[in-house]
Amino acid sequence: MQIIQHQELASTQSSIVFSSIPQTFTDLLLVTSLRDNSGSTGWENAYVYPNGLSTNMTSRFMFGWGAGNFGSGVNSPAVIYHQTARNGNTANTFSNSSVYFSNYTSSSAKAISCETSVTQNTNSSIGAITAALWNSSSAITSLEIVGAGTSFLQYSSATLYGILKGSSGGVTVS
Amino acid sequence: MPTNTYTALATLTVAVTDTQIDFASIPATYRDLVLVIGSAKSVLSNPAVVARFNSDSGTNYPYVRMTGNGSTAGAAAISSDTFLNLAAAFGINTSDNATILIQIMDYSATDKQKTVLSRSNLTSAGVEGIAGRWASTAAITSISVFLTSSNSFAAGTTFSLYGIAS
Repeated sequence: MQIIQHQELASTQSSIVFSSIPQTFTDLLLVTSLRDNSGSTGWENAYVYPNGLSTNMTSRFMFGWGAGNFGSGVNSPAVIYHQTARNGNTANTFSNSSVYFSNYTSSSAKAISCETSVTQNTNSSIGAITAALWNSSSAITSLEIVGAGTSFLQYSSATLYGILKGSSGGVTVS
Repeated sequence: MPTNTYTALATLTVAVTDTQIDFASIPATYRDLVLVIGSAKSVLSNPAVVARFNSDSGTNYPYVRMTGNGSTAGAAAISSDTFLNLAAAFGINTSDNATILIQIMDYSATDKQKTVLSRSNLTSAGVEGIAGRWASTAAITSISVFLTSSNSFAAGTTFSLYGIAS
């Protein structure tokens, strides 16, 4: 695993973009820590757009929130169910999420796996896991993270890692 | 936070079809293992994806899972099985590109039974998280991954094993 780029916001910003992603890895891992500028509490969607596109995505997710609430859903329009903490939450709390892109340079559909959480000092906390599929023959060359009508506050961050398959240590596979 | 400790140990892409993928001679020099099954499809629909360690076919693989199918969330537990379920509720199918991310904790320890976390994604059917256990204190030196119902992995399915240093 190798860090491709880490970005931490110096001021409020409407999006975080990774562009010119190298095509030399097998998989990508995106790790985010986000808080938006809304005055509300709880959580809000933070969309991840491969190549800046919001089309050809399907997804299913399951979640647990608060005290004893759980469920499952399908987003329409489909997005990677990925969360940001709201600015009315406990001070200095951010969401934490990891988004895994398997075989991101492939010419077949890209499967995407996401785990996301928002926690604070109330029951308005959530944990969720998502299965998403970006049905595109294009390799992923950029990733754009945007809020659902909100911007990300200072100290929000995103880190993109590249993971390269290979062989070492005498392990055999057949 | 992930660090630069992933070491690529072995990789395989199914060329035509394959009933079982075997990783062998796994050294005990890492703390954990990560197995990524990508672009996963089967020849026939909806088998579960399962694994055995060190060729152990005893009833030594309990697990608990949580699932969401897009409308309902659920949970289930199995006290013992003859293989470790990696993608059980929805499995894989002939058309989706599924991804399964598997973490095998303390695989080389000889004083612990082994915990496995698996996240499977079949977007057309559902999402699943599994916490499983291999009830053995033996170090894991081999992993066999296969499908239930005498099914086969389809061409293009990828398997990549990584070692995670402590």
